[in-house]
Amino acid sequence: MSAAKHSQAMHFQARAGEKVRNPVLQRALQKAKPLFVGKRAKGVAALADDGLDFELLRTTCEGIRNRTLADLDVWLDIFEERAKATGAEVLWARDGEEVSRLVVDIAHRHGVTKAAKSKSMLSEEAHLNEALAAAGIRPVETDLGEYIVQLAGETPSHIIAPAVHKTIEEVEALFAKEHGRPIETRTSADIPDMTREAREVLRQHFLTAEMGISGANFLIAETGTAALVTNEGNGRMVTTLPKVHVVVTGIEKIVPTLEDFATLMRLLPRSATGQSISNYVSLLTGTKREGDHDGPEKTVFILVDNGRANLLGSAYQDMLRCIRCGACMNHCPVYFSLGGHAYGWVYPGPMGSVLTPLYTGIENALDLPHASTGCNQCGSVCPVRIPLPTLMHRLREEQVERGLRPWSERLALQAWAWIAGKPLLYRWFARRAARYLNWLADGEGRIRILGLAPEWTAGRDLPVAGRQTFHELYAARKRA
Amino acid sequence: MSAKDEILGRVRRGVGKDDFAGRRAAAVASLIDTGRGPQPVMAGNLAERFRLKAESLSSTVTAVVRREDAPAAVAAYLAANGLGLQAVVTPDVGRLDWAAGGLQVEPRSALDADKVGISGSFCAIAETGTLMLLSGPETPATVSLLPETHVALVNVSRIVATMEDAFALLRAERGSLPRAVNFISGPSRTGDIEQTIVLGAHGPCRVHLILIG
Repeated sequence: MSAAKHSQAMHFQARAGEKVRNPVLQRALQKAKPLFVGKRAKGVAALADDGLDFELLRTTCEGIRNRTLADLDVWLDIFEERAKATGAEVLWARDGEEVSRLVVDIAHRHGVTKAAKSKSMLSEEAHLNEALAAAGIRPVETDLGEYIVQLAGETPSHIIAPAVHKTIEEVEALFAKEHGRPIETRTSADIPDMTREAREVLRQHFLTAEMGISGANFLIAETGTAALVTNEGNGRMVTTLPKVHVVVTGIEKIVPTLEDFATLMRLLPRSATGQSISNYVSLLTGTKREGDHDGPEKTVFILVDNGRANLLGSAYQDMLRCIRCGACMNHCPVYFSLGGHAYGWVYPGPMGSVLTPLYTGIENALDLPHASTGCNQCGSVCPVRIPLPTLMHRLREEQVERGLRPWSERLALQAWAWIAGKPLLYRWFARRAARYLNWLADGEGRIRILGLAPEWTAGRDLPVAGRQTFHELYAARKRA
Repeated sequence: MSAKDEILGRVRRGVGKDDFAGRRAAAVASLIDTGRGPQPVMAGNLAERFRLKAESLSSTVTAVVRREDAPAAVAAYLAANGLGLQAVVTPDVGRLDWAAGGLQVEPRSALDADKVGISGSFCAIAETGTLMLLSGPETPATVSLLPETHVALVNVSRIVATMEDAFALLRAERGSLPRAVNFISGPSRTGDIEQTIVLGAHGPCRVHLILIG
C-alpha cells in the first residue's frame, strides 16, 4: 500500500515513550482535555431542552450512514450525475498519489502558483502539500491550527484542533520567524492579537491564491453538493475567492438528502466542540452562475478511495460511518497521554487505531489496535455508534490469525495452550506459580518490582492472588 | 481500467448486491419524499428564540418595526461602535434609503478594504440562531465574509424553526440550490491557540442583526 511508506505507526512504542516524557506536550494536553470533554457534555445535554433525545438522534444518524453505505455504488452514481449537471467536474482517485497527480495537473492547466487550503485530512493522507510544493505551487494552510502546524513543518496532532499540542510560546516563536519580527513575551491575553496577526497575513493569501482546496464534511447526493463546516470562515474564503475550487474527499462521505444532512448536523458540531452549530455551514453546488459576482469559475470534485472501498462488506464496514468529529480521541485516556503524533499517521486516537492499520496495512501498524485501555469511552460518545473497541479487537485477532505477533508472544501463548490442555500439568504449574508469587510478595499481598518484567511495575504494584489456587479451594470445599 | 471503473467495481463488490438499475431507481424515488429525523420542540415564539440563540453566539440584535427603519438602526449601531458610516451592501437591499440614515453605501460585491458589509437574508433559523444566505447576482457572498463587520437584515416573518424548514422554503421558492448556501451563526471564531476562543478569525469579527417586523 502506498500510504504505508509515510506512516510512522510501527514506531508507536518508541514515540509514545518520548511523548509521555515531554513536559511541554503534557502541559498542552492536560489543559485541553477537560475543555473538550466538558464542552461536548454540555452541548449534548442541551439537546434535551428542545425535547431531543441524544440516543434517538444517534440511532437516526447511524441509520442514515448505514443506508448510504448499503448502496454506496448507487449513491456515488447519483452524486456524480447531479454534480456534473451543476457544472462541476468529477474525478476519481484510487490512492493518495493519484490525488496529488490530479490536483497538480489541474493547477498547471489553470496557471496556479498558490493554493489556499481549508483543512482536509484526506490531503494529509495524500501528502498533497509536498506534491504541490515539488511542482512549484505554494500550498498555504489557512485554518489557524493547520497554519501553525505548517509553519512548524509538522502534521496535525488532532483532526479538529491540529495544533492542540502547541503552547503559546511555541506559536509565538513560529509567528515571529514567519512574519519577520522579534519574539515577544506572550500570555493568554495576547491570543487575540496573535490571531489578528495571522488573519492579516492569511487574508492576503486568500486574495491572491488562484486555487482553493477544501475537503467536504459531507457530499449530498440529491443536489450534487459539497457541505463544508467551519468556525473560522477560511472554508468560505477558499471556496469563494480563488477562480478554481478543488474538493478532495472520500467516497464514503455521501448522504442522500438535505434533510439527512440537517439531522447529522445536530450531532456533528456538538460531538466535536459542543457547539449547537458551527459558525459557518456552507453548501457548495457547482460553479459561479450567470450574473454572479463571486465564486469559482471551475469546481472539481476528487472522489478518493485510498482503502475505503475494501472496508465495504468487510468486518470493518462500521468504520465507514465515521463523520470525523473527533469525539473518540477527545475522550480517550491513551490519546491524552500521548497526543496525536505518537500514532504515526494521519488519524490519531481510537479512530486512528482502526483506520491506520486498515488504510496502511495491518502489518504496518501492529501496536495501534493495542493502544487502548478497553474502556469504551470512544464507543459510548461516537455519534454514529461505531463500536471502536470491537473493531480494535478484531484487528488484534487478525494479527494473531496472520501470524503477525512477535515470536516471543506466539511462543508464550503456544506454551500456555500446551499446558492448559493438560489438566494435571496445568494444576502443578498453577500451584508452583501461586507459591512463587506469594513468596515474592513477602507477605505484603503485592509485588513492588516484578523480576521478569520490571517495566510492568514501574508505576504500580502487582497485586498477588491467594496462596491457594482455584482448584485447591474447590477441592477443599467439596471435602468440607 | 479507469480509476472510476476500478473504484466503483470495488464498491460494487463490497456492497454485494446486483440489480444496479433497480436499486438506483429506488434510491432516486426515495429522494422525492424526503423524510426528516427527530425534530426539536421549541417553546415560545420563534423570533424570541432566534434572538436569544443569536445573542448566545455573540451576535448583537436590534429590532425595528418597518423595513424603512432599518437604515437608521444600522447607522445608530455603526455610530455607537465607532465603525464609520460607509458600507458595501448587497444589491437586494441597495434600494432602501440608506442616505436618509446618513450612510454612504455602495451596492456591489465586497473588497478587502470594505469595513462594513450589509446584507439581507433568505431566512433565519430559530433553533440555532442562524442566518441562511444564498449567493446570487443580487446577493454576493463576499459581503457577509470580507468586511470586519457584517450587518444582516432579517424579516421576522422569515424566521423558521429548523434547518429542515429552511430547506423546505428553499425548495418551494427556488427549486434548486444556488452556488452557495451559507448558514451563518455569529462572528467567525477560532480556538486554535491554546483552546482560547477568539472572535474574528477569517470572517467578520462582529455580526449585528436588524430584526424587522
